[in-house]
Amino acid sequence: MESLLATPLKARHEAFGAKMVEFGGWWMPIQYREGIVAEHLATRRGAGLFDVSHMGRFSVSGANALPFLQHALTNDASILPVGRAQYTMIPDDAGGAVDDAYLYRFRKEAYLLVVNAANRAKDWDCLTALAGAFGHVELCDDSAKTAMLALQGPDSEKILVRLVSRGTLPEPRRNAVGEVRLLDFPVAVARTGYTGEPLGFELLVPAEGAVVLWDRLLEEGAAPVGLGARDTLRLEAGLPLYGHELGTGPDGQPIPIFACPLARFAVSLAPAKGDFIGRAALSRQREAQDLLLAGDFSRLTDLPRRLVSLTLEGQGIARAGAPVFHQESAAGWVTSGTMVPYAAPGKPGAHMFRPLALALVDSRLRENDTVEIEVRGKRLSARLVRRHLDSRTPPFSKPLL
Amino acid sequence: MILENLKYSKTHEWVRLDEGNFAVMGITDYAVQQLGDIVFLDLPKIGAKVTEGQPLGVIESVKAAVDLYSPVTGEVVEVNAPLANDFETLAKDPYSAGWMAKIRVAGADALKHLLSAAEYQKLAEGEAKP
Repeated sequence: MESLLATPLKARHEAFGAKMVEFGGWWMPIQYREGIVAEHLATRRGAGLFDVSHMGRFSVSGANALPFLQHALTNDASILPVGRAQYTMIPDDAGGAVDDAYLYRFRKEAYLLVVNAANRAKDWDCLTALAGAFGHVELCDDSAKTAMLALQGPDSEKILVRLVSRGTLPEPRRNAVGEVRLLDFPVAVARTGYTGEPLGFELLVPAEGAVVLWDRLLEEGAAPVGLGARDTLRLEAGLPLYGHELGTGPDGQPIPIFACPLARFAVSLAPAKGDFIGRAALSRQREAQDLLLAGDFSRLTDLPRRLVSLTLEGQGIARAGAPVFHQESAAGWVTSGTMVPYAAPGKPGAHMFRPLALALVDSRLRENDTVEIEVRGKRLSARLVRRHLDSRTPPFSKPLL
Repeated sequence: MILENLKYSKTHEWVRLDEGNFAVMGITDYAVQQLGDIVFLDLPKIGAKVTEGQPLGVIESVKAAVDLYSPVTGEVVEVNAPLANDFETLAKDPYSAGWMAKIRVAGADALKHLLSAAEYQKLAEGEAKP
């Protein structure tokens, strides 16, 4: 237990009755007293407050920071202005993901790369090995210097605005970032998140301000949310989790980055991007994807399976690893799945459940196709859907039933 | 909460012996707490032959799926079917309204191997430590 890392908010979690677990080397709350379902719904209906201080945070600066990032990451950092953030990947040569990440530009002179807690050491080794060739690149692991909070949900903005003591929140558009003072602490604020909520913020706060800001956000009406609901929220939103939808698949083989629908936003093959790690493989995947979407399966070997959202049609829950069949042929595996709560339509305060899954399936399958998932020797029927959640109309997300 | 008059399995089922050699079983309050939000319950079929220590059903929370183990050997004669759609009752009253199955056993000896309330208390406390 001594070897586990703790965030500045550990004592707050325990005081709040959190069930604590080991996660990526950290001692983290999986849920608080109310439980995962209540926390999920609190985020969708009001505002959820998450301690995400376990995420790895690397600052990248120096004269050659940009050429280095262009080489080491998949997205085009040259089009990232001050005040914006972008989703990106740390690729390998074969077009798989070492990790997925978010690149923030709060200031002109430095970038901030936020990576998964469980991959922090691996990412660090990968990035520092590449940085050597660039000279004048300063990489710094800032993870322990700050705490990171996420405030997500329809009420998040009106809650956060009450804490602003100087400056203004970044403009209301996804991936906008800025620096403000909250209760006099300097805080870097980003309109980003991992819940699918149209309104949501991630906050980088000085470690010494973490407890004060946490307590005040709860006083203002946010509900504390643990890693359990963080997972159900991202699953409902169709967002990938490294180790499930990215990295190595259930068959032990690397998952091509373009298997993930979000790759479209995370990978740039624009001329300005230049050559970068994995570019050749990613170009092949992208071509295969374009052909697949046009109904041409001639390049299936470059992208044999893609990630899709599944709605289960009967009773039962499909968990990660469950095999998927299409017309009696093996067609892939579930990568994440559980029962997800949603607000019951027309019944204020009530909720219902729906079994959802993400799966890596044969690229020839199409939206509305029906597949079967094997669970404990039984076959459950499921349908491919475009998405489970509509995040396009703030302030509320809407479950697509 | 652990009830004095029940017997317990190491896998967190409780058992009560009713007249006529019927063993009534469910899961303990501790198990309910550990599972968190329960979202799915698969009970055995009436007539199923069950064996002590073998799975007889499945319970799932948002977090995970967990097998239910039969604490005794015998034949399922009744199940609490409405419970499969009423997890609130299971969470609030696991020892009474939250019963799961009634199993016909050979005799009182079928429960002999199970833990007493005090023994189960010790087991649960041991597990609860981080």
